[in-house]
Amino acid sequence: MMHRLAAWLGAMSCILSPVAAFAQEKSASRPGFAMAPGACILLFRPDISVGAQSTGGIAEPNADWTQEAREHLDAALGRAQQGMGHPIVTAAAPVGEAAAALAAYRALFSVVADSVIEYQFFPGNRLPTKKRAGQFDWTMGPGVAALGQGSGCGYGLFLLTEDQFGSTGRKMLQIVALMARVPVTSGVHKGYAGLVDLRTGELIWLNADRQMGGDVRTADGAAKRVAQLLEGFPGAVPVPAGSGQ
Amino acid sequence: MIRAGIAALLAGLALAGAPVRAGAASGAGALPPYAGLYQPSTVDERGLWMKADEYERQLRDSAFVIRDAALNAYVRGVFCRTVGPDRCAAVRLYVMRVPQFNATMMPNGALQIWSGLLLRVRSEAELAGILGHEFAHFERRHGLGRLRHGRVMTDIASWAGVLGGVSGLVVQTQAIGSIFTHSRADESEADLLGARYGAAAGYDARALPAIWMRLMDEADATALGRRQRSHRYDRVSFFASHPTSAQRAADLRAAAAALPPGGESGDQRLVGAIAPWRSAFLEDQLKLNDFEGTDVLLRQIAEAGWSEDLLFARAELYRGRGHPRDLVAAADLYRQAIGLNAGHPESWRGLGLALLRGGQVDEGRQALRHYLAARPDAADASMLAALLT
Amino acid sequence: MMGPMIGRVAAALLVLTGAAAAWAGNTLVAAGQRVAVAKSALTVAPASEWNRLGARPGRQTETWTLDGDPLNDLTFYGGIETGRPLFREVAKRTKPLPHFSSTMLLTDLPALFEQSYRIALDTPLVTIDASEPASFLGEKAVRFRYGFTRQGEEVKRQGEAVAAIVGGRLYMITFEAPSIHFFGRDIGRVRDLVASARLGA
Repeated sequence: MMHRLAAWLGAMSCILSPVAAFAQEKSASRPGFAMAPGACILLFRPDISVGAQSTGGIAEPNADWTQEAREHLDAALGRAQQGMGHPIVTAAAPVGEAAAALAAYRALFSVVADSVIEYQFFPGNRLPTKKRAGQFDWTMGPGVAALGQGSGCGYGLFLLTEDQFGSTGRKMLQIVALMARVPVTSGVHKGYAGLVDLRTGELIWLNADRQMGGDVRTADGAAKRVAQLLEGFPGAVPVPAGSGQ
Repeated sequence: MIRAGIAALLAGLALAGAPVRAGAASGAGALPPYAGLYQPSTVDERGLWMKADEYERQLRDSAFVIRDAALNAYVRGVFCRTVGPDRCAAVRLYVMRVPQFNATMMPNGALQIWSGLLLRVRSEAELAGILGHEFAHFERRHGLGRLRHGRVMTDIASWAGVLGGVSGLVVQTQAIGSIFTHSRADESEADLLGARYGAAAGYDARALPAIWMRLMDEADATALGRRQRSHRYDRVSFFASHPTSAQRAADLRAAAAALPPGGESGDQRLVGAIAPWRSAFLEDQLKLNDFEGTDVLLRQIAEAGWSEDLLFARAELYRGRGHPRDLVAAADLYRQAIGLNAGHPESWRGLGLALLRGGQVDEGRQALRHYLAARPDAADASMLAALLT
Repeated sequence: MMGPMIGRVAAALLVLTGAAAAWAGNTLVAAGQRVAVAKSALTVAPASEWNRLGARPGRQTETWTLDGDPLNDLTFYGGIETGRPLFREVAKRTKPLPHFSSTMLLTDLPALFEQSYRIALDTPLVTIDASEPASFLGEKAVRFRYGFTRQGEEVKRQGEAVAAIVGGRLYMITFEAPSIHFFGRDIGRVRDLVASARLGA
């Protein structure tokens, strides 16, 4: 709950992110779950942000890059849909009370996804009740059904990507820090994709990675990112993944 | 937490870079011609606006925004009068429930005024000067320069970080150093422009230096209470993005002297507009655990006279610290508040609790009975009733 | 309540220093057994499983969770002494936390808690929604409900706490979770657990 500390850690993790110090899991799905064939998926407006990262780790937003990324990612999602075996319906932007409800659930999704990463995917801090083999038990609560009302879709997909490309200065710092044996990442390339059962609120599948590949500013890179985001998507026809970072 | 970081960055963007038009800061009374609706042009600037737009989208739904229509209409009214209807239309104004003294301008024209500032301004003329100051940042594109500068600043922090420990938080938590986080040069320019907007709108610019004098007194008391040295007469420190308050007060005094004399202060209107919120803002301040700073602030506000809400707030402050002598002082202050208004139930509650904690059980219970009779449905009524036996 | 952050620091430090296995991780609390918490005489008998976070908010505190403390945070305060804050200072120089005092009335405890949260979370959006007399550890106690929102996160959380002063020390159990779903789902089992609390085995 310590916001200050969290902010400090946010800053520190930009400066000193542990790079692959632990082999971390990136994706999991609810065991034994099978999606109804042909069921449609409601896609909430993806949260997309692209910018540069200065030596100090400050994000420098870039509107042109973000706009390019949005177009490329939208197109890539459209193509990926064929491989997912389910139609995707983009949720209309709500107004009034519905907007507040969506905002509340987006905030909750972010907190749930962070908790999954922190307490299940990250071995260093894993909770004993979350490390039993094959287990994936996370929820946003049945109230999430309100978000899907009228859409006819049984599932909701939350997507979030955030990219900051390392500047030359940042890369220099990375090299110096490497010699000092302090891990520093250059750039942030994080992506969360989560599929929620709109009837129960259960998280069916989450793919959350703070080190993603693919330059989302290009069509190829966006396709690669979408492929990575949707990797392991339940019931999916395999999507051709790009060739490493 | 990334979001919080960006928010802090946007709220705090500032510094030099921005081309300061020669003579803009001199030549008393001259306001820059209004350029009309501005749109961002360069890559940096559009990126900044995009982020600001996104942040504002969150801000709009934020639980921290005070949505009270009357208070918003009042602040907006003062702002529009100060900068004129055209400029006013370019800005969205958000009154935020944050108990510190601050106002921030985002590069896209979203202006935040914190509740701690509304508690501390004394007159409409002061508020106008501050709102004009913030608008000057927008009009002079100060946010863009800050992004360029901010890069350099954090670079220094980051290199130091590899070697061990500089926390960026120091920058955020500095008392009055962080008041308007733009650069020193930008701040000075905005101070002067703000004074001029206010004067052009018929407000008395001579009111402005007093804000900084009061903030210095308060910050001194806070520092003293926390056993730190006063920053009052400091040279500008490494992190300080603002001129020292002493410098600002002196500059503003000089600027005001150069402006045509006269103008109104509008203090009664301000006090009237804040009145419905003052108790809530005082309560936020009391919960900051800053005894000395709060005591000075209360005495400053009470220069116009001790009203029951101020006496009550001071009593709560003393009862909160809770030394035996504080409890005696608190009981006295509650009694003074009751003397002004016997129907101030919260003072009966406080009096009862102060007496009980001080060991005066019978009198304490009697006071609590007064409170419970007036507020039988209070959220802690059953808890207080349990103290009666 | 602030455990995992410390945990993250510890984990990050572990990575930074390259140390192999210095830090006590999170451990399972089994159902049906009475356990001592917060390095104190306070014991509880959970009816279902919990996770005990390795990182503690302060010297005499301990946090349990089901899904991670942002989603459900059960914190035990095991005998805070006079002159100590409820949990570790976040910024002692610039915004020190208030201290507990054994002379406090029960009605002062929700106020102490609220103020500590406002300062530590840096938010004025902390409210004590109701308080009532209760019995806890065989003593007169206060039970209160609270709510808060952190800056930059916008998730509304609800909480419930019970506190008593025993032998001049503060004993308290707090539970908080997002208002959406989590609080309502878990508060029942928390109340049962709180009812099982006592001093000593």
